[in-house]
Amino acid sequence: MPLAAALALTAGLFHVFNHSVFKSLLFFGAGAVLNSTGERDMEHLGGLIHRMPQTAFVFLIGCVAISALPPLNGFVSEWLTFQAILLSPQLPSWGLKFLVPAVGALLALSAALAAACFVKAFGVSFLGRPRTPAAAQAKETDANSLAAMYFLAALCLVAGILPGLFIDALAPVTKSLVGVSMPYQAGVEWLSIVPIAESRSSYNGLLVFVFVLISGSIAALAIHRLASNGLRRAPAWDCGYPDASPATQYTASSFAQPIRRVYGATVFRAREIGEMPPPGSTAPARFHVDLRDLVWDFAYAPIAIGIAFATERLDVLQFLTIRSYLALVFTALVLLLLVLAIWP
Amino acid sequence: MALIRDFALQSAEMLLVLLLSPLLIGFVRKVKARLLRRKGPPLVQPYHDLLRLMHKDVVLAERASWLFRVIPYIIFAGTWVAASLVPTFRSGLLFSWSADLIAIIALLGSARFFLALAGLDVGTSFGGIGSSREVMIASLAEPAMLMIVFTLALVAGSTQLSTMAAFMASGEEGLRVSLGLALLALIMVAIAENARIPIDNPATHLELTMVHEAMVLEYSGRHLALIDLSSELKLLLYVSVIGCLFAPWGIAGPDASPRAIAIGLAAYVAKLAVGGFLLAVFETGIAKMRVFRAPAFLGAALMLGLLGTLLLFVSRSL
Repeated sequence: MPLAAALALTAGLFHVFNHSVFKSLLFFGAGAVLNSTGERDMEHLGGLIHRMPQTAFVFLIGCVAISALPPLNGFVSEWLTFQAILLSPQLPSWGLKFLVPAVGALLALSAALAAACFVKAFGVSFLGRPRTPAAAQAKETDANSLAAMYFLAALCLVAGILPGLFIDALAPVTKSLVGVSMPYQAGVEWLSIVPIAESRSSYNGLLVFVFVLISGSIAALAIHRLASNGLRRAPAWDCGYPDASPATQYTASSFAQPIRRVYGATVFRAREIGEMPPPGSTAPARFHVDLRDLVWDFAYAPIAIGIAFATERLDVLQFLTIRSYLALVFTALVLLLLVLAIWP
Repeated sequence: MALIRDFALQSAEMLLVLLLSPLLIGFVRKVKARLLRRKGPPLVQPYHDLLRLMHKDVVLAERASWLFRVIPYIIFAGTWVAASLVPTFRSGLLFSWSADLIAIIALLGSARFFLALAGLDVGTSFGGIGSSREVMIASLAEPAMLMIVFTLALVAGSTQLSTMAAFMASGEEGLRVSLGLALLALIMVAIAENARIPIDNPATHLELTMVHEAMVLEYSGRHLALIDLSSELKLLLYVSVIGCLFAPWGIAGPDASPRAIAIGLAAYVAKLAVGGFLLAVFETGIAKMRVFRAPAFLGAALMLGLLGTLLLFVSRSL
């Protein structure tokens, strides 16, 4: 059990570290986009990969890392968390035993939703066609900002492919908090990480990264040498439907529509209302999305309504005559004296 | 010497999955055609298709970025590595410890992430529709897959596929309810992940219900060949995972003789044939669902996976 605690704590701390790295990277990227276009709304961006290729590259690394995808660092801490969850049958308390696997499912759900979110964030802001002139005129950000982002992106990769170094660095913390630390990782051959035993689970980010790199290069080389390397530019195909306007692209809200419909219908009471004009009318069709936050409706709204009700009732006190005020003050004084007299 | 032998076997495995995956698709198509009393394309048609695509020039959309051209290689490499880490004819391959089942699933997740980005790159509405639906399906399929992995890992005491396959092959466990639930859920997730009927139709174009084909609509030539090959590899990977966990017969051990390896190879091909045949029968017998019925399908898979895990917590024998 102490080993499981050390593993879980290491996973948590490592994730905090990873999060600090890729979140900073993504915020820097968002700042670079804001600086260059003056826009914070994704619906006004698009196509920035052509104008800001380097920012796009590092931002993409941040997106992959935060979506917990191998071979970057977000995946390693997620993987360690899963390994800790798999030790939960050892837990003494039944409540925790049932709760922990459900938390695992929720963690997988949040990782998948994070991936969806960052496909949307990167796809809508950096890919596609510019939706506004500001996005079409964007300039690459300055060298200092780029250097900072490249440093963080490199850290994402290093923590992803050599996680053993970071796990060993966290060992003193877990040692002082739970009494034991995870097994020393730097000594494992091939720089793998082995949380408990090799027969149980192991992961080698470096090898996976090198494998992917080599097999991708082999494929590229083989195809370019042996098959074709010709390339021709042509208008987009899009099933033969010409779309002159960038407004026909998917926007952030249209990208989120399937997910909103699946999860939002219960969690946020999402309702989609389409209004078609009557036949013959030239009025535009309208589409509304109605979202309600249940926490607001059931936790905050009753309090707010209660306060509004009480203040309205107390409002009458504001418009009394001077005699009534004096009477009130006098009554209050008498009441307080009575309380003091009765109080033991 | 042993290292060289292991290395050769690992390379053989990588080549094997690469070479067999188009055959599996060809077989599924052939069986489907025969079930519909059509003659169907020859078994080797997918190879011809891939070669034809590879020898053609790429017609690239004018607005496509550098990322669009890199993505097919990323997807192919990620899927190929994932597929070659699954024990097929022999367990305990040289690099099988470098990624466990969770990492293999996550590698496929990376490939999907980039494919969804590719759908958005050119800025067309078809690409967007495919990407947005793909991430919706993924957001349901990934938790379900993870619950299946949890069930299997709790039974086998490992997330390492080689260890799990060896454990299943040892027959120590016998029949268990939770494993049955996991198998059912795994088949459902595999169908969804591979864009098969009833979630998606692999044979359709120009239909508003399509998901995978909509994302790759702008790809052509060698890029399309790589993406097609990746989806073929992905189908092979899922059939291999199901085969090595639920039908672990014949898989050669780490120190197997050439004869055992030959038996393992024959058993593997037989498993692929059975898997492909069952898939074709299932697809022929069922109609495609509306996109927004997919959550119910995958939600059922998630519940089965969760139930399997919880049963293991309640009782060691279920």
